[in-house]
Amino acid sequence: VSEALPFPAGVDEILRREWPKVVATLVRLTGSVDRAEDACADAVVEAVTRWPTIGIPERPGAWLTTVARRKALDVIRRESGRAERERAALLEAEVDAAIEHHTVRDDTLRLIFTCCHPALAADAHVPLALRLLCGLTTVEIAAALMADEATVGKRITRAKAKIAATGLGARIPPDRELPDRLSSVLDTVSIMLATGHHAPGPSLQRVELAHEALRLAELLVELMPDEPECVGLLALALSTVARMPGRVDGYGALVVLDDVDRSQWDRSMIDRAVELTHIALRRGRPGRYQLQAAISCLHAVAPDVAGTDWAQIVTLYDALLALAPSPAVVVNRAVAIARRDGPHAGLAALSDAPQQWVRTLLVRGELLVRSGVVADGVAALRSALAATSSPIEQAHLMRRITQLSTAPP
Amino acid sequence: MPTYAALIYEAKPALRDPRTPDFASYMQRYSEFSQIAGSAIVGGAALMNEDTATTVEVRNGKGGAVVLHDGPYVEAKEMLGGFFLIDAPDLHAAIELAAQIPSAWDGGRVEVRPTLAM
Repeated sequence: VSEALPFPAGVDEILRREWPKVVATLVRLTGSVDRAEDACADAVVEAVTRWPTIGIPERPGAWLTTVARRKALDVIRRESGRAERERAALLEAEVDAAIEHHTVRDDTLRLIFTCCHPALAADAHVPLALRLLCGLTTVEIAAALMADEATVGKRITRAKAKIAATGLGARIPPDRELPDRLSSVLDTVSIMLATGHHAPGPSLQRVELAHEALRLAELLVELMPDEPECVGLLALALSTVARMPGRVDGYGALVVLDDVDRSQWDRSMIDRAVELTHIALRRGRPGRYQLQAAISCLHAVAPDVAGTDWAQIVTLYDALLALAPSPAVVVNRAVAIARRDGPHAGLAALSDAPQQWVRTLLVRGELLVRSGVVADGVAALRSALAATSSPIEQAHLMRRITQLSTAPP
Repeated sequence: MPTYAALIYEAKPALRDPRTPDFASYMQRYSEFSQIAGSAIVGGAALMNEDTATTVEVRNGKGGAVVLHDGPYVEAKEMLGGFFLIDAPDLHAAIELAAQIPSAWDGGRVEVRPTLAM
């Protein structure tokens, strides 16, 4: 007689960690993304029902894969087509092979490269990754991306249809294609991380989205431990997520870097980020994510704004500007130069940025104020206020403009 | 005899979906055309819908970075749905045949071009 045990702690985490691997294997075995998702969802239901009684299996991934395969087989047997019966045979034949580590690794890699395939619409990459690799529902994805649910659903459906029609999910890219293909995978995870860190909607951060990005970065390093950019992205994700507490106050308002309570930051995550950044950079193949991780770590280990190594941050931004130029890099580099050499130098460095961009206007406004030209600074901040659609930034700018306009000269 | 390509632009790609009730009559019209054209058709293919298209571009010359784009190269109201290669004595004969391709008279267009002998 088995008695129901209390629900084992950590089950949720195990299920989430194993999800992409189980889906990946089932996609290969069933040849259908939809069928794989259904079978995996059924397997998770069974795990949640049975694990409290039988305990967490020693190899939860293998347990889930076996159950999911059986569920898929049940469905396929009920269908009568010849192709379907061949699928069934494949599912039956592969008893233990699917549980072998290298097979799981290959299946998971294949699914990741499929989700971020450049032949799929770029705006489908993140939704598809959240759906297939993180197991989020369309409703959750729409909420996480602050996008319309129908739009997200349509993107996912279209991408899945193209995968099915073209067979582009059938292989792992060969080594010579890996650098190109890997960069679209890293970009997808990085967009996810950036969106979680600086969300477009009513709350500044979407912590859960950043955590999904972190989870995927961990998975990429597990699968491709020798790629320094994968390690760099993981370090960036760790030091970003570690510094999320304290960025907003109790009312959800933005806290500027000078005022952040750094004691709220996650020290163990930061330590790991620093260590990983060193490991990656030591390989001598620097890339944008390693450089971004290094910058993020310098912020993370600094005691305060004054004690931050701005000189080294400027050097890293110089390298980033040469390697992967973007408006954000130009603006952030200008901020670092201003901290190192003063507001005039920062303003000069800002001249290469797109002038009407919110971030440019915001930084120019603050640098003008600091250089003593308060009226011009307030004017730039007003332009930033008009240009931003983020309620958090609007609230911050209104407070700041009021404060500057009423301050004694 | 010269060979012409008849590029078929569909006005109603939805007709090509086997799940729609109109699919059977669509196929019927094309099989009637095949009988009319007979041995004049020397090649061709129907293409999957534009949703499945991938456009390929190589930047910086041969061997450069391969840039992919999801979707057809030209976004048009009509969709390139397939093509026939037609043997005809001259352009007039090719046009006469092309005019009988169902998509030419059901709202779509057919572009006729002589092929280069290679």
